[in-house]
Amino acid sequence: MGSSVRKAIELILSADPELLNILSTTARVCLTSSILALIIGVPVGILFGAERFPGRKILLVLNRTLIGMPPVVCGLLFYMLFSGVGPFRHLKLLFTVKLMIIAQVVLITPIIIGVMETFVADTAPALRETARGLGFGRIKEYRLLVNECLYSIFSAYLLSFARAIAEVGAVAMVGGAIAWKTNVMTTAIMMYTNRGSFTLGIALGLILLTLSLIVNIVLSLMQGRLSR
Amino acid sequence: MKVSAFSKTYGKRTVLSLPELELSEGMITAVIGPNGSGKSTFARILAGIEYADDRKPVIADINVGYLPQKSFPFRMSTEKNILQNGNDPARAKELMKALGIDDLAKQSAKKLSGGETARMALCRILMRRYDLLILDEPTTAMDMESTLAAEKLIRETCGGQGCAVLLITHSISQARRISDRVLVMNRGELAEQGDSGTVLNDPKQEQTRRFLDFYGL
Amino acid sequence: MKKIVSLLLALMMIAALCACGQAAAPAAATAPAADTPAPAEEPAPVEEPAPADALVVDTCILKEADDAMINNYSLLAVNPDAPFADADGNAVADVELNTVGAAALINWLLSEEGQELAANYGFEQYGEYLFYLKDGRPVSSAEIPAATEETKKIRLSTTTSVNDSGLLGYLLPVFEEKYGYEVEVYSAGTGKSIANAKMGNADLILVHSKKQEEAFIEDGFSYVIDGMDAERLNWMYNYFVLCGPSADPAGVKDAADVKAAFKAIADGKFTFISRGDGSGTHTKEISLWPEELGITAEAESFKDYTDWYVSANTGMGACLVMAEEMKAYILTDKATFLTFVANDGVMG
Repeated sequence: MGSSVRKAIELILSADPELLNILSTTARVCLTSSILALIIGVPVGILFGAERFPGRKILLVLNRTLIGMPPVVCGLLFYMLFSGVGPFRHLKLLFTVKLMIIAQVVLITPIIIGVMETFVADTAPALRETARGLGFGRIKEYRLLVNECLYSIFSAYLLSFARAIAEVGAVAMVGGAIAWKTNVMTTAIMMYTNRGSFTLGIALGLILLTLSLIVNIVLSLMQGRLSR
Repeated sequence: MKVSAFSKTYGKRTVLSLPELELSEGMITAVIGPNGSGKSTFARILAGIEYADDRKPVIADINVGYLPQKSFPFRMSTEKNILQNGNDPARAKELMKALGIDDLAKQSAKKLSGGETARMALCRILMRRYDLLILDEPTTAMDMESTLAAEKLIRETCGGQGCAVLLITHSISQARRISDRVLVMNRGELAEQGDSGTVLNDPKQEQTRRFLDFYGL
Repeated sequence: MKKIVSLLLALMMIAALCACGQAAAPAAATAPAADTPAPAEEPAPVEEPAPADALVVDTCILKEADDAMINNYSLLAVNPDAPFADADGNAVADVELNTVGAAALINWLLSEEGQELAANYGFEQYGEYLFYLKDGRPVSSAEIPAATEETKKIRLSTTTSVNDSGLLGYLLPVFEEKYGYEVEVYSAGTGKSIANAKMGNADLILVHSKKQEEAFIEDGFSYVIDGMDAERLNWMYNYFVLCGPSADPAGVKDAADVKAAFKAIADGKFTFISRGDGSGTHTKEISLWPEELGITAEAESFKDYTDWYVSANTGMGACLVMAEEMKAYILTDKATFLTFVANDGVMG
């Protein structure tokens, strides 16, 4: 571990351009995918939790299955779809950051839907009874419901960001770990591990953990303010 | 105002079956009866939260306010909670003062105790005038002092605004204190109704008498 | 608030870890001084054993420069009219490939400039040449067009050994700067990188497995580019080397040839690390075992040899680390092995 820590510090201090490129690609992929997933997942999750409609239970079971989907399977699916011989070949998205983001959104959105659904299903009935009793319209009812959700939206986001930044299977398949283009922290760690550069792998892992820690501290501080 | 006859069935079990009822403006009608007699279901159907078996509204299209047994505190300050139901800070202040929660105005409603939440919820629903105001055990969580203040407030609002109040309560003394009329429910049916003085002092039905005796009055 | 406190705790733990790391560092630095075991009369030092990364590499080259060990690298342009098929086997006619870019890169690698650079690679760093130019290799003097918006992006699917040895990182920037192309390198084992090209995701491949290359051509996935006379452009080579512990318990050093060496390992059941990942190195290794063992790429074929035959299913460097660790024999390309030794057995 000692040499890995030294290596990690050296790497950061040297501002190695390849490392900086990997870091910025990682940030771009993880932040974009987790925010997109949040934008899609929160309204869907709230609807699933608050409304009762035919097919809801089936959709929830499907969603739970998707939460358990191995990232590499998701990656493989997108690799096949966007491959040079795949049905979406004309979009030319394979081995691009865009497709990595799309694959991660597919991986993460179910988690956000799941977290939001659980919370809202728990909260909505009591809130709705009170809001309707006061004679509020549906729009006001939803506004109040979303206001209740803010804290759990943060929790959902933390979870999905963690999944995005830690995930390797999907980004390796659809990104191809191409240097200077689609190589992110996790794929770089995989690459160095396969090469036998374990020290460098752990050094990158430490940097990744530190970044993740910083993001988590910032978000938790924001979440703490919310709960007050 | 008229409440049409209706019934409510869960599966095969009929939980509520009531005849046509009359509620009058400016009057407080107390609904009493043992636990599980269908008081709350009655309130929820009247408020339009649940439906009667025929899914028709049981009351003409009027403005109904309903305070559930456990009213939900929204994630904001006590004062803002109250202002959700009408942006009149002066009125809110007056109501909070009347129930002794004016010093909690800026506090997060989620952090209020049970009794404080109940007082906040009552203030909140009294912010607006409703043609019919349904209160489901509004004072159960409150201490005696707050209960009396609340009763006074309900009385004043009812008189001042000329709305009909339906007060669901398990406290016979409360019914005696503030109600004009009483509905006694038992096992989903209307056991007895009439002026509160008459029903509570001299019930016609044997089961009403037993219920009143059981509660020690 | 509780959360923040626990987060701060986590931060402190990491800081503590860092401190431990720093403290361990000097110990590691002094360890090699005591490279002989302490004499018996001296009290045994209570020091912890030196970390693995301070040890000198024991694994060494035992067999090399055998004709059976030649490692040929070839370039193949992917045929735009290849019988591409989707996952269900339906033909796909309109796969888009950058044939101009692929030809440009091939012509440059086979040009005087490209060949000279490749031939000189490694000498400065390792004191040895890592790749040799083949006699009778294809040579190109075709003019290389500058990149245009359409032909700029070249997708090269290649094997890990070419990429990990640093050859591509050394060659490609020269080409990119001069002609304005951008080469995207997809690197995986030969099997996977050929499969990637068959899915229409590469404009050319650079691999080292003759059998798989010939199958690729046979299936119609490659074509002869202008000015060349074959699909498979085999222009450079180096050697696979058989490595193992310096003590060489199987005595492969004295074996008549490499096949005899492999037989000695199998007969004595000495631990052998196989890539096991369908790479060129793996394919080569399979061809060197005595035929009666019947070892193939299928797991089924070596299920009786698991006591000594280790199928690692990982990259060359990781396998070398394993071999060093387990005092095992291993077949590797020379370039990766030299990098491994140059880094004291930790691979950078």
